[in-house]
Amino acid sequence: MNVVTLVGAHTRAMLTDLKRTPGYVIPTLAFPTMFFAIFALPYAHTAAIADSEMLSYMAFAIIGVTLFQFGVGIAAERGRPWERYLRTLPCPPAVRFVARTGCAMAFGLAAAALVALVARIFTPLDFNALQWLQLIGYAFVGGIPFVLFGITIGYWVSARAAIPVANICYLLLSFAGGLWIPPQYLPGFAARISPYLPTRQFGELLWSIKAPGHVGQALIVLAAYTVFFAALASVGYRRDERTRYA
Amino acid sequence: MTYLELRDVRKNFGKVEALRGVSLTIGGGEIVALLGPNGAGKTTSLEIGLGLRSADAGNATLFGSSPRDVATRRRLGVTPQHSGFPDNLQVREVARLVAVHYPHPAGIDAALTAAGLEDLAKRRIGTLSGGEQRRVSVALAFVGNPDLVVLDEPTTGVDLQARRRLWDQIARYAVDGRSILFTTHYLEEAEALATRIVVIDRGIVKFDGAPAILRARFGMRRLSYVGDPLPPIPALVASVDRVDGRTIVTTGDTDAYVRALIAAQEPFAELEIGVSSLEEAFLTMTGETT
Repeated sequence: MNVVTLVGAHTRAMLTDLKRTPGYVIPTLAFPTMFFAIFALPYAHTAAIADSEMLSYMAFAIIGVTLFQFGVGIAAERGRPWERYLRTLPCPPAVRFVARTGCAMAFGLAAAALVALVARIFTPLDFNALQWLQLIGYAFVGGIPFVLFGITIGYWVSARAAIPVANICYLLLSFAGGLWIPPQYLPGFAARISPYLPTRQFGELLWSIKAPGHVGQALIVLAAYTVFFAALASVGYRRDERTRYA
Repeated sequence: MTYLELRDVRKNFGKVEALRGVSLTIGGGEIVALLGPNGAGKTTSLEIGLGLRSADAGNATLFGSSPRDVATRRRLGVTPQHSGFPDNLQVREVARLVAVHYPHPAGIDAALTAAGLEDLAKRRIGTLSGGEQRRVSVALAFVGNPDLVVLDEPTTGVDLQARRRLWDQIARYAVDGRSILFTTHYLEEAEALATRIVVIDRGIVKFDGAPAILRARFGMRRLSYVGDPLPPIPALVASVDRVDGRTIVTTGDTDAYVRALIAAQEPFAELEIGVSSLEEAFLTMTGETT
């Protein structure tokens, strides 16, 4: 019943629950890879294109899972009697947060790994062991603001609205962030706002592994979004606490 | 030691005064039944005691500290009023998840067997009937082996056999200083189990004491005889029925009715006077009529 045991128990319960909903898990995992297969595979003839396309779609995969796992998951669960019951257990609220974060990270990395696997099999990728390691590290760091973005959606949007809202944020930001079409080919308006979007800077961070880029700038913008969404998420969380447990 | 204490707790929801100064203390080794009509404030009182809501005024403590303290809640086991479990988890998986939070949990198998759930242990909760889910909820309140078990309507929608089993479980559990607080709609349940009954009505505590005292203080008595009823007696509240030639009078003062019967020189036979049930006491107290 120490905190580590509790986090483990709650993580296991969440993963078991996920494992038994293949109708949700398989499409969620396969969706980014499907996009990758349709929009990137046919053009990935050179190592340079294959590398950058794979990185883009891995970012796309991680963003999707975090927005859906947190945004839709929290919005659906926060009103449930089960959550209310869990409040009566001797369990600090942070335990559920950490467990949920761990689950979403594992799930997001699995979705990204599937993209990598398909890219590795069907394209002339050029990645060495060090670059794979760097990729895992960057994927973790770059995923943080999206976790908080998801939590923000979860606490500010109702359960019914969470799915469309998460979808719109996911698809629009991925497109305008240059994750489907390389940024230099984006249409006018999207091209203008693109550098300010977290999706674009997440892409820039990952692309920098294989091409010269502005890692520092990407990290600064992502850090700013981290602070922004952390503030929004915590206000949303407190607002929910106040109304639900007042 | 005081396990749960509410001191002059007030709570408004908008303009509705849900609690108008509720005071309640639960100590070790007690079985307390919390009774009251729907909307009387039972659930709100419990929620404040469990830290799910905060009081507008007054004070709520659990084992002497805030109900929201994690350490305090290690001594508390609660059953949710509505089930709403994660449908995909098995009964024993949920029981294990709950047990992990407690320092000295009961064995999972023992806890499930005590609730008659051993055959359902590997079933997913979503596939259980409403009554079965209710029994899972109750089992979860006991699984941590806590000092205070709080059961919110534990037998609603449960079959007779399961209800009897739970009564046994409650009676066996409340030893060695462990206490149980339960709400119920069934007065027979309160009468059969509780060492103390607390009645809440319209946001205040109407009664707090042993079941026998409740019956004696608020109990109506029942008088019946073969013969005709008297015309209504001024200043005596009574309900009068006639069944198969017998007149049945329910009133707080049977003596006055008997004196009036004799004074009226009305012929009567086979006079019987008895105590009415707690149910009737309860209805008298909360101002409802049968």
